Amino acid sequence: MIPLMDAVIDVSGLEKRFGRVRALDGLDLSVTQGTVHGFLGPNGAGKSTTIRVLLGLARPDGGRAELFGRDPWKDAVDLHRRIAYVPGDVSLWPNLSGGEAIDLVARLRGGTSDTSAYSARRKRLLDVFQLDPAKKGRAYSKGNRQKVALVAAFATPADLYILDEPTSGLDPLMEAVFDSEIRRVAAEGATVLLSSHILSEVEQLCDRVTIIRSGRTVETGTLDELRHLTRTEVSFRADGVPQDALAQLPSAHDVDVRDGRIRFTADSDALAPVLAELARLDVQGLTVAPPSLEELFLRHYGDDLTQAAPEPEEARR
Amino acid sequence: MSTATARLEPAHAHVAASGPSTSAILRALMRQRLRRDRWQLLIWLLSIAALAAFSAASVQQTYASAVGRDQVIRLAIADPTILVLRGLPQGSTLPALIFFEIFTFLALLAGLMNTFLAVRHSRAEEDSGRAELIVSTPAGRLLPTAATVIYAVAVDVVLAIVTALGFLSTGLPVAGSFVAGAAVGGAGLAFFGVGLLLAQVMSTSRGANGYASAVVLAAYLLRGIGDAMGTPFGDGTHLRAAWPSWLSPIGWGEQTAAYTADSWWPILLQVALAAVLVVGVFALQAARDSGAGLVPERAGRATASRSLSGTFGLAWRLQRPVVIGWTVGGALGGLLAGALGSAINSQLASDPNLAGIREAMRRIGAGGSGPLTELFISAILSILGVLAAACAVQSVIRLRQEEQSGTAEVLLATPVSRIQWLFSYVGVGIVAVLAVLLAAAITAGLSAVAAGEDTSMIGHAFAAASAQAPVALVYLGVLTLLFVLLPSWTVAVGWAVLGLGAFVGIFGGLIQLPDWIRHLSPFADAPVVVGDVDWTGGYWMLGITIAALAAAAALIRRRDFAIG
Repeated sequence: MIPLMDAVIDVSGLEKRFGRVRALDGLDLSVTQGTVHGFLGPNGAGKSTTIRVLLGLARPDGGRAELFGRDPWKDAVDLHRRIAYVPGDVSLWPNLSGGEAIDLVARLRGGTSDTSAYSARRKRLLDVFQLDPAKKGRAYSKGNRQKVALVAAFATPADLYILDEPTSGLDPLMEAVFDSEIRRVAAEGATVLLSSHILSEVEQLCDRVTIIRSGRTVETGTLDELRHLTRTEVSFRADGVPQDALAQLPSAHDVDVRDGRIRFTADSDALAPVLAELARLDVQGLTVAPPSLEELFLRHYGDDLTQAAPEPEEARR
Repeated sequence: MSTATARLEPAHAHVAASGPSTSAILRALMRQRLRRDRWQLLIWLLSIAALAAFSAASVQQTYASAVGRDQVIRLAIADPTILVLRGLPQGSTLPALIFFEIFTFLALLAGLMNTFLAVRHSRAEEDSGRAELIVSTPAGRLLPTAATVIYAVAVDVVLAIVTALGFLSTGLPVAGSFVAGAAVGGAGLAFFGVGLLLAQVMSTSRGANGYASAVVLAAYLLRGIGDAMGTPFGDGTHLRAAWPSWLSPIGWGEQTAAYTADSWWPILLQVALAAVLVVGVFALQAARDSGAGLVPERAGRATASRSLSGTFGLAWRLQRPVVIGWTVGGALGGLLAGALGSAINSQLASDPNLAGIREAMRRIGAGGSGPLTELFISAILSILGVLAAACAVQSVIRLRQEEQSGTAEVLLATPVSRIQWLFSYVGVGIVAVLAVLLAAAITAGLSAVAAGEDTSMIGHAFAAASAQAPVALVYLGVLTLLFVLLPSWTVAVGWAVLGLGAFVGIFGGLIQLPDWIRHLSPFADAPVVVGDVDWTGGYWMLGITIAALAAAAALIRRRDFAIG
């Protein structure tokens, strides 16, 4: 059927307009089977709109979107048999208990055909997420509403999990529980699309990352690949290092001498000659900080800030 | 005393001195309420005043002659249907006739306006969490309620004045117009107290609004029954209300007998009730936590019952309280129709005004010929048809609420087709329509038989109820199509079209609206099942319903689902 390395989600040139606003403006996204794929972007970048297109709730104005090789708009019902979804802003029925909502979603997804297996999965998830299922929907806090949606998603096995900022209301303990659930379904071979703006979470969980901004893909690749695009911070003790030696360092940027230490950044893929030179100088207290996704993200946020003014004109074209 | 405080809490004294005074806080809270309600309030006040002026002018035009007025009042006293829908006759002078015709309806509107206002500024604020924002300021927990009370008193004084001006604009006497206006405002204030009390008791604004509206409708119905059971006195154009009217603030308002006796004491009764209720509100509020209800939130089931296994099960679960409520209303209305219908038949068989009564029935939409009891039951059931249509409208509004709140998105991300989702709510709407009408038919038929009518009356009650089904269904179908095409219009258009349709279609004949306006309303074209039976309108409406639902099914696949 579907070869192992095939794309579960295949989106190219996706466009979606709401009135005069271009929510998606040529977005590309490809998620390979069996991977956990991070989907990063600032608020309003188009993450939720993309997910709504993937779920067949919104029809794209241009471009192509495929799920398991099929059209999410036309084949929504069939595709949804293989999908678990957690919305970004979970709302529950005010007068239904959390347990009722979980059971309803499970029944609709066909997860209750094996009753004892389902109730075992449900019980385990309620335990690990420490959720009281007897409360009415309106009585839950934001974090607990999110837990209801997570339990509903994980209680029925799926081929693809689409999670829209699923941890934004969870405390750190629950985030750890969430992480282990993601690792569990990934180990079972499921594919996960994890939209987030929590970078540490994406760094811990994701095999690949796509970063979008203003409805367009700006970076995509494995974490390692993306790190090549960043700079590594190098610092060492300043005493005993001749000042003119610094000028000879290859590809050192943003040199800064402060608190008795010298710091600079270097292109991550051009680090070896720098380190060789530092070894020749016999520097003391050397630290080399690997690039974080934070930095990568900030670079694109930073662009957002500086390009904020011309952006709308671009959008109007 | 003050020195001791100053010595103990110098730092706090400084804070207190710079904080706002109680009256400044109250002023700010009242400004916020007025700012929020200004358009809504303006529409309510102008509509009520305009209705007063319009109906006064219409009665003046229609019943210019003293003989005609005398006739119509005697006719009304003989016909409980008219009394239920109108009021308590107090003689045949023109102003008295006007007060009889329109007062109870104005009081009903004032009641709804006030209960919505009370809940909007109390429980709804707590529901949304906005109340916490205010409670955390120096306003505290009780001042916002005090501000709401003062605000409501001001609103009802304005309501009394604009209603009086509405009557005055048609040249009615000054004193009587102000008594009538004050009776409308007083009824409003009493129901404000009811709404505010229920907002304390219930833990959701939906529940508080539902029960408060039910109390207003019950008060309207109680005085209707009391008036219908009243005893004539004097020259036969006056009626003394029976005891049920005395249980209703609207019934008290009728006791002012504006333009004839001009009594003010019943208004004191209305205000006293409001005062007692408000005292109760403060006692309850002082004792409870902010955000909590007096009826505690019960824990739900930990697991879903077998019935909650699909979209229809969910739709039914969400609409169940509404359907049960309207069905109980339908059953009570049917009881009234059967019992009173049988009573008038024996009273009226020899009445000289028989032709006039038939004419009044025809105008309500029950057909013009046939046995009187059947006509009467048809007339009441055409009013109960509004309940069935309201139930249908609410099913479609639920669709919109599900989409807007985001809960529909959760369902549509599972293997549920949009058509299945849409038609679950349409199905619940159909069940609701049938439940309301069936309950009305059963109780109407049985109570008529219990009162000594022939058993064939049961069959007639079912025929009369089934005549209303196409009207309710056409609302269901067309509003469903509107939800698919213009989702954000669903709620406003749904209620507006239902309210206008009911008013124009059922009462339009009584206030002499032109026929072409009346027939814009589906209620005016309901099938006639008494005398000259005519189902044409019903077939048309069923056809429109099916076409609208088919279009909705085709188009729901084509639109985006959005939040908000």
